[in-house]
Amino acid sequence: MLVHLQGPWSPLIGRLSLHQIPYHNPIILGAFAFAVAIGLALFAGVTYTRSWRYLWREWLPSVDHKKIGVMYILVGLVMMFRGFIDAVMIRTQQLMAVGPKSAGHLEALHGYIPPFHFDQIYSSHGTIMLIFAVTPILVGLMNIVVPLQIGARDMAYPYLNALGLWLTTAGAALVMLSLYLGDFSHDGWIGLTPLTELPYSPGVGVDYWLWAIQIGSVGTTLGAINIIATIIKMRAPGMKWLRMPVFTWCAMATNLIVISAFPVLAGALFLLALDRYLGTHFYTAALGGNVMLYTDLFWVWGHPEVYFLVLPAFGIMSEVIPTFSRKPLFGYTTMVLAALGISGVSWSVWMHHFFVMGAGPDVIAFFSMSSMAVGIFTGVKVFNWAFTMYRGRLRFDTPMLWAIGALSFLFIGGLTGMMLAMPAIDYQVHNSVFLIAHFHSWLMTISFAALGGISYWFPKVFGFKLDEASGKRVVWFWIAGAIIVFTPMYILGFMGMTRRLDYVSHSSWYPLLVAEQVGIGLFCVAAYYQFKQLYVSIRDRHSNRAEADAWGSTRTLEWMTHSPVPFYNFAVIPQIHARDEWAWRKERGLTRLVPDRFQDIHLPKNTYVPAVLGAVAFMFGFAMVWRIWWLAACALLALIGVVVWRSFHKDTGYVITAAEVERMERAYLEPEPDAIGEEAPVGEPAAGVVASTRMPSRQSVGG
Amino acid sequence: MSSNEAETEDAGSIVLWNDAHPGPDMISTRTLGFWLYMLTDAMLFASIFTAYAILWHNNAGGPGAEQVVHLVPAFVETALVFASVFAFGIAMAALKRGRQGSVVRWIGVAFLLGAGFLGMEIHEFAALAQQGIVPERSGFLSSYYTLVLTHGLHMLFGLLWMAVMVAQVLRQGFTEGVVYRLLNLRIFWHFQALIWVFIFTFVYLQGKL
Amino acid sequence: MSHQQPNPLDHPEVRLASTRGYLTGFLLSLALMGLSFGLVATHALSQFYGRVAISTIALLGVLAQTHFLFHLDWSETQRWHTLGFWLTVPLLVLLLGLSIWMFHSLDARAVMSGMG
Repeated sequence: MLVHLQGPWSPLIGRLSLHQIPYHNPIILGAFAFAVAIGLALFAGVTYTRSWRYLWREWLPSVDHKKIGVMYILVGLVMMFRGFIDAVMIRTQQLMAVGPKSAGHLEALHGYIPPFHFDQIYSSHGTIMLIFAVTPILVGLMNIVVPLQIGARDMAYPYLNALGLWLTTAGAALVMLSLYLGDFSHDGWIGLTPLTELPYSPGVGVDYWLWAIQIGSVGTTLGAINIIATIIKMRAPGMKWLRMPVFTWCAMATNLIVISAFPVLAGALFLLALDRYLGTHFYTAALGGNVMLYTDLFWVWGHPEVYFLVLPAFGIMSEVIPTFSRKPLFGYTTMVLAALGISGVSWSVWMHHFFVMGAGPDVIAFFSMSSMAVGIFTGVKVFNWAFTMYRGRLRFDTPMLWAIGALSFLFIGGLTGMMLAMPAIDYQVHNSVFLIAHFHSWLMTISFAALGGISYWFPKVFGFKLDEASGKRVVWFWIAGAIIVFTPMYILGFMGMTRRLDYVSHSSWYPLLVAEQVGIGLFCVAAYYQFKQLYVSIRDRHSNRAEADAWGSTRTLEWMTHSPVPFYNFAVIPQIHARDEWAWRKERGLTRLVPDRFQDIHLPKNTYVPAVLGAVAFMFGFAMVWRIWWLAACALLALIGVVVWRSFHKDTGYVITAAEVERMERAYLEPEPDAIGEEAPVGEPAAGVVASTRMPSRQSVGG
Repeated sequence: MSSNEAETEDAGSIVLWNDAHPGPDMISTRTLGFWLYMLTDAMLFASIFTAYAILWHNNAGGPGAEQVVHLVPAFVETALVFASVFAFGIAMAALKRGRQGSVVRWIGVAFLLGAGFLGMEIHEFAALAQQGIVPERSGFLSSYYTLVLTHGLHMLFGLLWMAVMVAQVLRQGFTEGVVYRLLNLRIFWHFQALIWVFIFTFVYLQGKL
Repeated sequence: MSHQQPNPLDHPEVRLASTRGYLTGFLLSLALMGLSFGLVATHALSQFYGRVAISTIALLGVLAQTHFLFHLDWSETQRWHTLGFWLTVPLLVLLLGLSIWMFHSLDARAVMSGMG
């Protein structure tokens, strides 16, 4: 072996040993018990509703973009909850460990989490929230909505779409596994060198972090190729570029960022892996490494990444705000240009993440100016949303509240961002909690938009609305929580509190930390209402049935489908006549959804191969983390082998005849019996996203 | 109908549903996606090139580019890569004429030339390693090995893909799937020549300047 | 998806292949690399001009290959490929150029700048 490994290593099981299971840590044992309990509850629930066969045949091998999108969002929400618990733990530790007289519990000198574990918690909080929570939710929404908004039946590459989902899930699974077997990284979500080099991080933590992100990022990149190709190639006739909804334009712009920037992350992590596995000297402190090289390459990705997250959020807001203002979006062309502009200019700002590195004033000035320039495009968007709402007939349903909340935090995040773009200020507050509060303001924007998007499109996907009362409570408690957590944080940043502190030495900061704790308590209340909303909504789903035009004032093409959307999306591909096609048709009374003539529909078959590849990718990541070389080699060969084998398959699609389509569509025209509180009527075609027991018999599962 | 404005309607003749819409053709959809992947590959190489550019002088007292690169073998390798790409191009011209035997033969020629390239490269690095000039010696050597061998790994995947395509052509003939995969492989293989232009110029030639 | 199943060999991208084009591309690329090789092996130019020369020749080689091998033009078949390519090139320039500028500036100013 070319590197010196601390701890035992055997050819059979690599670095694995029973010592790697944290038996002695009560917090992790508690987490394990909680996870087991949830697992058992899910198992029981699925068994009770006799859904094993249904899930195994309809969801696991699905290549339907809507189902894949739902699964992406589920993964994201689960991981968001885990990341949220990490946040609560961080806040609590920082409150309890203030001043030299603060008490220590559970092996910690101060507070209740020793530094060794605290570092893992903030590292996993960042990694999970950015890569495995928000990204899957936004990718999931784009997956569901973009094909519907352009009038397509599915994405350009349905099989690849499923593969992206399962690779993302494999990455998330690696992160979750690190909680119970070994450690996670102690070196932050960024993973700066030389701290992440083997001598300073000799455990498996950084390896978990590295492979989780690498595998997940391959999934994201494949998804981006898919969405771009779909938008270029699969638009319905008449859907010209400047008739596409702004959400689709934002999806295009954001995925252009992915295909350009994510490979640089892959390169940066690849070189770090070479350092850690083969003893090379890319980022080492000696023998010709350059410790700043990683920082440079990482942030080349890292800055476009945050725009990758925010552009879909802007897209969601651009859909929600016009619908609930009952007005078309103001300034469509400038919105589109601004989205593309953000996508382009975001490529020239990355050094603002390390102004303090020590480069000369000319370099710093360039990056400062471009960082300020990119704010112009966002400003254009903000004004356009404001002018959309001006003189609109506003309705404050839950999605609109989310959107307005997102807009408010955008102000704060954006203005503090402009402050940080000035090196003189940045030198003072770099890596203080002012920075944390700044980017969390943006993350509030993004997560508000994501949740708003979920509640906005939920009725379209599932056929019933989410409960409004509890939903509004989620919004308000979340907004209140965010204000009360992050305002003191800005102040503490100015007062000199640095980030990632497991022990706070200044007792004078205590009152502000108490305020932050109140804020996180409000977040917990919001989380409670979120769970309650899901429960109530599913319980009351029959009385909250949604029509095609679920919100009454929707404008874009995805609303021109039945709710829930049938698995083939449109019986016949629509002809597009205008921007906001659905609004155009409503104005002319052309709201009929069922066409007169039908045609055969070709769809791709379900296949288990993507899920298998995801599982093998997980095994590969696991083997690389624990340095089990034989397993890694087998997994790699299996990946290549399965891909090659599948490429020989010729028959990967199936046909629904025009007659079958007509039968399913005509059922929508039958008058609905009074079904309040009852099960779905027999005549209703159960061919939506959730209930598809009526799939035509020819939908066999291919290889 | 060339503007993006809403069309003026003649109420009786608005077409709501386009049941004659043929949809996109599968081959160009696939090659577009693969081209996008190729651009991501370009960015990956760019990040490794950046590392090379930053670490190029960091030989930590060990051998530098001057000692490590050998121009004549590198030029031979260049000729082999370009020839292999050319041979694959002839295979694609044969594809145009539907000549299955010709396609298989010329892919075989491309395979052999590519394998020759890899053989020379492996020989080059084995010789270096035997002298103790290994990637762990310095930042420069780490990046030299990695940049060149990443390209080599791509070539290896290309060779594997060629073998798979020969099998598919022989078994299935020129189906839509086989044709788009051949087109994608053409893009992939030509791209290796493109990257090699940069490696030859900025690693080998620059090393001697 | 189309149902008529046209002959895949009639597809415009298949028809792009041309033996003459590939031969020209091959000979041109080899000649350009040979020229660079000759300039460097014979030490014909100073270091600075040598770098300028081989960089220019590499650029010409890339342009030759994009034309003869990749058939990148603005025709309907190739339009998106060409657009993607030309949008990627500035990003490559930004990544390499700004990074090199940054580290050059850092090396000039810092003591521990990673110079091994």
